[in-house]
Amino acid sequence: MLETIAAFGRIAWAPIALLCRFLFGKVREPIGAPAKFALGVASILVLIASYSLLSYQRHQENPRDTTVPNASQFVEGWQKVIPKKDSPTDWFDKQQRKKYLESSWLYVDVIASFTRLFAGLSIGVIISLVVGMAMGCLPRVEAFFSPTLSFLAKIPPTAMLAVYFVLLGTDFELFIGMIAFGIFPTLAQGIYQAAKKDVTDHAVNKSLTLGASQMEVIWNVVFQQVLPRVIENVRLQIGPAMVFLIAAEWLVADEGFGYRLRMQSRLLNMNVVYIYLIILGAIGFLMDLLLSWTRRKLSPWFGE
Amino acid sequence: MRLLTDNYNSKHGLKLVAMLSIAAFAAFTLPGCGGGTATTGGGTTTESGGEADGSDSKTTPVFKLAWSEYPSWSVFGVADENGLLDKDEGEMGTIEKKYGVDVVLKQAEYETTWTLYGSGAVDAVCITNMDILSPSDSRASVAILPTSTSNGADALIVADVADIDALADKEVRGLEASVSEYMFERNLEIAGKDPANFTFKQQDPGAAAQAMSQKQDGYDAIAVWNPFVLQTLRNREDCRVLFDSTTIPGEIVDMVVMGKDSLDKPGSADFAAAIIEAFYEVNKLMADPEKGDDTLVALGAKFSNLPLDDMKIVVKQTQFYKTPDEAIALFEKGGTFMSEIMPKVVGFCESHGILTKKPTVGFGDPSAQLNFDPQYIQRVKDQ
Repeated sequence: MLETIAAFGRIAWAPIALLCRFLFGKVREPIGAPAKFALGVASILVLIASYSLLSYQRHQENPRDTTVPNASQFVEGWQKVIPKKDSPTDWFDKQQRKKYLESSWLYVDVIASFTRLFAGLSIGVIISLVVGMAMGCLPRVEAFFSPTLSFLAKIPPTAMLAVYFVLLGTDFELFIGMIAFGIFPTLAQGIYQAAKKDVTDHAVNKSLTLGASQMEVIWNVVFQQVLPRVIENVRLQIGPAMVFLIAAEWLVADEGFGYRLRMQSRLLNMNVVYIYLIILGAIGFLMDLLLSWTRRKLSPWFGE
Repeated sequence: MRLLTDNYNSKHGLKLVAMLSIAAFAAFTLPGCGGGTATTGGGTTTESGGEADGSDSKTTPVFKLAWSEYPSWSVFGVADENGLLDKDEGEMGTIEKKYGVDVVLKQAEYETTWTLYGSGAVDAVCITNMDILSPSDSRASVAILPTSTSNGADALIVADVADIDALADKEVRGLEASVSEYMFERNLEIAGKDPANFTFKQQDPGAAAQAMSQKQDGYDAIAVWNPFVLQTLRNREDCRVLFDSTTIPGEIVDMVVMGKDSLDKPGSADFAAAIIEAFYEVNKLMADPEKGDDTLVALGAKFSNLPLDDMKIVVKQTQFYKTPDEAIALFEKGGTFMSEIMPKVVGFCESHGILTKKPTVGFGDPSAQLNFDPQYIQRVKDQ
């Protein structure tokens, strides 16, 4: 009886398996560059098509819907975010250009948010690098930091906003601090793990035997090997850093992406909201590419 | 594992490592050093402070007000735009110069302004008479100015619900333990119904309005405030208001509240006066037949980018205390606000678990944890 079911199952499964083979290919089967490109484009097209369908259905149900905007609503949204004042007669006049650009939500918000993001990321990365490296190399430092770090890594910084208010005030320092301390525990742990596990005792002992000093071991041996992992970890932290920034701006800011997203989603102006999200995604994507490129340049031996 | 030392110890690599590590070390130690120098520097400034005082003009006291987007609170955003108050520290608007006080305006999300106020990061906050009860238990507070009262700005919006009795079978969504729930229960009470027979379910008002606009299942009734009321009615033609806060005017009062600790600081009375005067100045601008519409549009932009027609409805539903006389009458000792309304609001908060400890409420009584004090308005009026 069971055998019959199993046999039947195999027969029924055969066409599905064939279809899967046809669609997905074999495990690790190489594909050519044109196919890769075409599939990438197809994925974007599927995204756009499903969005359009959803938007169309919503507007069939309620023609005044603003929650899933259609193309013409997006055009309206775009007109809201670009410069509104007359374009300057003389583009080289700093005053005129400034006035023109500052009438644009998008310009003001990009400047505000990304200054905060870069400053917060840089400080967070530097602190994590020092602490992570020290932990990976020096067991005393490791023993001191490791329990607090794994504890702190689980706490969302936005939930202890009141502490940040007391420590950092409510302005620029707040955003920097939220991002830096937000990414610090996870990033430092990543760097620490890499410094500890990726570099074998063998390598360390070998360099010591060859006459390297303690500092030389840390910088010439451990850091060199850990650098690509550091960059990879930073790359993974761009997303969280953005989340922390948007969350902080959502609550206390009068310019920046978080502020604009809050004000516009209050009014259900999703045409503006989605434009901002697309720009946010695009900038994040570019930062990602830049870091990958940096890693390939600095540590070509690491591979893809 | 393959090692890099043998074939990758190029000069380039060494240089990079050196540079990065110096940068890392500098950055790690500098904040520490910076902190150190700052503390010692702090010592020197206090020492040299006397000299600086002699040569420089005396330092202007700085006070901070946190405000969130609401018709009668966005007034402060408009005051900043018109140059009456400058929101930044170190910058002075006309009213700030008049009183010799630096007012810093901090815009934030409503509930975050409570945290800002509770943590002492700001001196004053824009908050309702209901929401201030809990914070004033930990930070003794003085209500210095009533700005408006909800007269239709909080509403219950329904779709396919015939009357209040039909509502009993539906779930009402809105922010729990807020003015929305208060408005909902007070209206049931007025209609002679028992709130226990109705379901009020927790939902962020923005999310509730969005779901209602999208005609999602289970969203037949939402209790929200403006701009969500106007927004939902505009997005869906088949929605209507079943009841709203027009039945309870003067019960939900929007105010500016200041910490008692901040009021003890020098220059605090000037700060209070500057805030109050800025509020009445913008009110005058709105009443001005020439500048009125522009001011309303500016207020709309600070509030939520609502157009003029909507703003005209908004300021009608959020009834401003436009003049010092109206405000003083409200805060008066022995008035209905003192004898009936505040006890009712405190009772509501207590029975709904919003308050674990009841703060003492007083009118012109400095010992109360929450003191409604009209003297600051009086000062501006007497000028």
